[in-house]
Order: sequence, then C-alpha cells, then structure tokens
Amino acid sequence: MTAVAVPIEQVLVLAAALFAIGLAGVLVRRNIIFLLMSLEIMMNACGLAFVAAGARWAEADGQIMFMLVLSLAAAEVAVGLGLVLQLARRFDNLDIDAASELSG
Amino acid sequence: MDWLWLVPALPLAGFLVLFVTEGRLPERPAAWVGAGSVGLSALAAAVAGSDFLQQGGVPQTQHLWTWIGAGGFDVAVRLYLDGLSLVMMGVITGVGFLIHVYATGYMAGEEGYSRFFAYMNLFVFAMLMLVLGDDLLTLFLGWEGVGLCSYLLIGFHHKDPENGYAARKAFVVTRVGDTFMAIGLFLLFREFGTLDIQAAMDGAQAAWPDGGALCTIIALLLLGGAAGKSAQAPLQTWLPDAMAGPTPVSALIHAATMVTAGVYLIARTHELFLLSPDAQFAVAAVGLLTLFIASFTALNQRDIKRILAYSTMSQIGYMFFALGVGAWSAAIFHLMTHAFFKALLFLAAGSVILALHHEQDIFKMGGLWRRLPVPFWCMAVGSAALAALPLTSGYYSKDLILLASFDYGAVGPWFWGLAALAAFMTSLYTARMIFIAFFGEMRTAPHERKGLNMRLPLAVLAALAVGGGWFGLVPVASVLPDGGVDAAHHEGALVWVTMLAPMLGLLAGYLIFGGKQLSVDGLVNSGLGQGLARFWGGGWGFDAFYDRLIVRPFMFVARVNKSDAVDRIYALIVEIARRLNAVVTQSQTGALRWYAASMALGLVLALLIVLLAPSL
Repeated sequence: MTAVAVPIEQVLVLAAALFAIGLAGVLVRRNIIFLLMSLEIMMNACGLAFVAAGARWAEADGQIMFMLVLSLAAAEVAVGLGLVLQLARRFDNLDIDAASELSG
Repeated sequence: MDWLWLVPALPLAGFLVLFVTEGRLPERPAAWVGAGSVGLSALAAAVAGSDFLQQGGVPQTQHLWTWIGAGGFDVAVRLYLDGLSLVMMGVITGVGFLIHVYATGYMAGEEGYSRFFAYMNLFVFAMLMLVLGDDLLTLFLGWEGVGLCSYLLIGFHHKDPENGYAARKAFVVTRVGDTFMAIGLFLLFREFGTLDIQAAMDGAQAAWPDGGALCTIIALLLLGGAAGKSAQAPLQTWLPDAMAGPTPVSALIHAATMVTAGVYLIARTHELFLLSPDAQFAVAAVGLLTLFIASFTALNQRDIKRILAYSTMSQIGYMFFALGVGAWSAAIFHLMTHAFFKALLFLAAGSVILALHHEQDIFKMGGLWRRLPVPFWCMAVGSAALAALPLTSGYYSKDLILLASFDYGAVGPWFWGLAALAAFMTSLYTARMIFIAFFGEMRTAPHERKGLNMRLPLAVLAALAVGGGWFGLVPVASVLPDGGVDAAHHEGALVWVTMLAPMLGLLAGYLIFGGKQLSVDGLVNSGLGQGLARFWGGGWGFDAFYDRLIVRPFMFVARVNKSDAVDRIYALIVEIARRLNAVVTQSQTGALRWYAASMALGLVLALLIVLLAPSL
C-alpha cells in the first residue's frame, strides 16, 4: 500500500480554517452547547496540525500530543456538560451571557 | 559558686512551666510551681551566699555565656556576686518567697491563678538579673523586665479599665526614667567602650579624678532612671496608682523589691556619685523632697494601700537621702529592713482587705483588733518598724541614716532636722492608720480567711521586722566606700532627739486619732486646713500638673492630628490604587465570549509582533 503524501501546507491550511471556524463559533454563538462544539472543533484543528507535523518530520511526538488533546477533550466534555446542566438548571436557558455574574 | 546560676534560673523555669501550660494547670500544682521555684531559688541563694561568706567575701564572677560577640564589642551574661548583690539577692528571693507563699492563699479562687504566678516568677527572675548582672546591658535587661512585669501585674485584673490605666501610667512614667538611664549608659559606653560595670567604674575613677561636667551629667542621668523606678520626685506619681494590682503584687513589687532597684543602681555606681558631689547632693535632695511629699500625702489618704504606698515612697526617700549624704551602707541596711517590714505591712493589710471583702477605706474599718488579731499584731509590728520605734529593725537603720546626715557638710544639721521631722511625720501617719483602722467602733464585720500558707509568711516577716536589724549592718562594707556607719561618736541631745522623734509622732497620733484628747477639728475644718488637706491628699498636685503639662496637650495634639498629616501620602497611594481599580474593573464584564475574544485578539497581536519584528 502506497501512502499518498498530502503536502503539509494543505493540512495546515485546513487546520487553520477549522481553527478559525471554531473560534468564530465560540465568539458568535450564545448557546452553550454550540460553544462546546466549537471548542471541540478548535481542539481538533490543533490535533490535526500536530499529527501533520509529526508525519512530516517522522516523529512520534505529534501523535502523542494528539492523544493528549483527545483526553483533554474528553475531560472537557465531562466537566463542560456538567456545567451546562447546572447552568440550565439555574438560569433556565442555555444563553452563556446570562451567566455573567462575575462582572467587576 | 556553682549554685549561683540556679538563683535566677529557677524562677525563670517556673515562669516557663506556667507560661507553656497557658493556665491549664489547676491551682495546687500552679502554686507549687510558682512558690516552689522561688523557694528553691532562695535555697540556692542561701548556699551561694554562705559559700561567698566562707571565702571571705571576695567578689565572685560566674560566666554563663557570651550574649553578643561582635568584633571588639562583647557582651557576656555574667553573674557577679559581692556584698551588695548578696544582700539584694537575699532580700529578693527570701522576701519574695514568703510573698509567693502568702499569695497562694490570697489568690485562691481568683481568675488567672497560674497567670499570676507566671508573672510573679518572671518578675523575680528579672529582678535577680538586675542585681546579679555584671554588665550594664544585663542590668538594663533586668531593669526593663521588671518594668514589664510591674505593668503586667498592676493591670492583672485587666477587665477593669481603671487598672489598665494604672498599669499604663506606671509603665510610661518609669519609661521616662529609663530613657534618662539609657542615655547615661550610652554615655558611659561611649567614654569607656565597655559595658562591664566594674571596668566602667574603674575607668571613671581614672578618667575623671576631679569629677567634671560629664561625670555629673552621667550621674544625674542615672539618678533620673533610679528616680523613675524607685518612685522618687518628680517621677513618683505612678506608685500610688500601682496599688491597683493584687495586694501580694504591691508587697513584692512596690515595697520589697522593684522600687529598690533605683537604690541598688546608685549604690552599684557609687563611684560616679563620689566623683561628683553635686550629683550626690541631688540624690539627697531628691530623697528629702520625696520624703516630705510622701509623708504629708500619706497623712491625707483614706485607702490603706495608698497610705502604705506613700509610706514606701517616703522610706525609699530615706534610702536616697542616705545615699546622698554618703551613708551608703545605712541605705542598703534600710533597704533590707524596709523590705521586711513593708512586705509584712502589705501582706497584713491584704489579710484585712480580704477579711472585709475588698474594703480598703480605713474609715470603714475600725475596731478590728479584737476580731482580726493576727493581721492586727502584724500590722502593729510592721508599723512600729516603719515608724522606727526602738528595738525594731527600722529603728536601727533609720537611726543610722539620721545620725549620718548630721555630718553632711554645712547643711548637715538642716538635713538632719528635716529628716527627723519626717520621721515624726512617718510615725504620725502610721499611728493614724492603726488607730483609725483597728480601734474605735467596728464599722464593717470581718470574715477572716485563715490558712497556714497566709499566716506563716506573716509570722516569719514579723520576726524579721523586729529582729532583722539586731545583727547590725549587712556585709556591704567591702563594696561601699563608707565601710559601715560609725554612729558611736554622736552623743547627747542629737541621739535622743533622733530616737524620740518617732515616739513623739506616735504620741501625737494617739492623742489625735486614738484617745481623741487632742482635737484638730478646728484646724482641719478651717479654710487653710481644707485647702492643705486637698493639696496634700492629691499628692501635692503633681498628678494635676502632669495632666495639664503633658497628658492634655498630648491628647489635644492627638485629637487635632487624628487624620495624621503623614498618613496623607499613604492615603494618596490607596486612592490611586482605588481609581485604577475602578478603571480596570470596566473590562471585567463577566461575559465569557468577550474574554475569549480578547484572548484571541491578544494572541493575534502577539503573533503579529513575532512575525513583523523577527529581530526581537
């Protein structure tokens, strides 16, 4: 089986695009669920960049980092969903701007 | 010799035990630790003292450790035992022990029992360091420790603000004296570069064989310190207020030991005063002045403890007077006999006060001699010694002082006359106290608290108050320059008048206050009599004067400057921080997306900087 080498530039462009989409989602969406999903996209964009870099220089580090990102994402979802439940219970909606009580 | 270090170490150990247990110790063990440590210390002092005397009274030094060693500046903690410190050590541990034993009964059931004994032990330790210390820094450590403990003990019943006020007053007033003393010590150190007392004294004798201004200044500064600690004019105002402490405290601090620290200091540095006759005259004048102020004030007091306080002041005045006129040994002799009879008086008065449920007004006592025989006889014995009736201990010492004063230069006869008049006054106010408090009709029914631990110290002190002077002068001849007082060359009327003055006072006291054969109502009720009574009763206006001169201006300045001018700078800093805070809090919107956006923006900016400025 011959591997088709995808040029790293294209992968990085894809990763950057995904990251930008995720960031835009975080910034514009007010629904917490979508916010978490956008965060997920951003993390995967990072993961993609790591994997591509690891493949490019034939190092295992990139994949190790991707595994870290995966476990981080899992942890984040676990905590994040718990918070979402609490927020929904307390404010009766999922609008992130409702939870702005820590304003100076 | 090896026993000497135990003398101060044992009370310190007692204090530490009581201190670390933080009052969790029940009364019995606390009493054993408190009184026992001082008792053992007295034993060690006795052993060390007999050792010292067997070796012919050669001054001994015990080097404990080096406290500060910095280049040429060495401060060693050394104990120094000679005749003078031996007497002081004996009085402090011996009388101190009896007072501690008495206090175990007197303080029974009081709140803070073990705290009380912790302070008392610390006090005894500090006083011992004061008299045993071989250099000025150790002496000063003990000196300040004594001041601290007197503050703690005067304000022992700290829930009453009045007591706290009295404690602060004692602390601040003695601090004034301490400042003088500290400056004096600094000057001594600057001149001779040593803190060793003996070396500094030798240096002074070598450097100023004819006295001189600096010598007089240092001596006067030391006198200022001594006057503060010993409650001599013009720093005497704290002592009567210090009676706010429990009675055993008054006995320990304000009669037997602490107030004698000034006398000790002057005796210890007597070389300086010998070099400067002016300073020595000042000592005598201060003593005589205090003697008179205190005698007349005592005559106009109602509170039995205040009467005793003023009598203490006047007796310390006698000691200063004796130091001033050169009767050095007589002063120390009087210090010792005074410790005996004044501790006795205070403890007996404590028994009376306790029996009357803390009634201290002699005009509410009356007729107690039948109901309280033990305190009465103790008071009578103590008063006889205070008034210097023949055969009591006070007679021997006071007689020596009076006779010695006659020989003091041209003013000697005058000094003698004034001091004899003061002796008359002493026995007059003593008689007044006894006759009003113990005779006549009974006004308050007493309930005496009996107990061996309170009666035994009284009995021992009564025996000492009578017989403490029979064996003559204390072994200070080798230390102090007059080598003992030779009173034998006085003859005739001088001796008789000296002896009879107290008896006349007693007679007058009996006629006025006892049998009422002599009425002074006319004089007392006249305008002049009333005015004088008010003036004397108020301590010759010293308190009012200081109140106007210092306290009120100080309070005024404090009130005016409530918003401290210097504080403005710091207030400005606070204000700037607060404004900045107000500005920066604007950015804390609490909106999560806003934070995310600013983080992203910041990141972009950081990246841009890195990309556009590669040289950075």
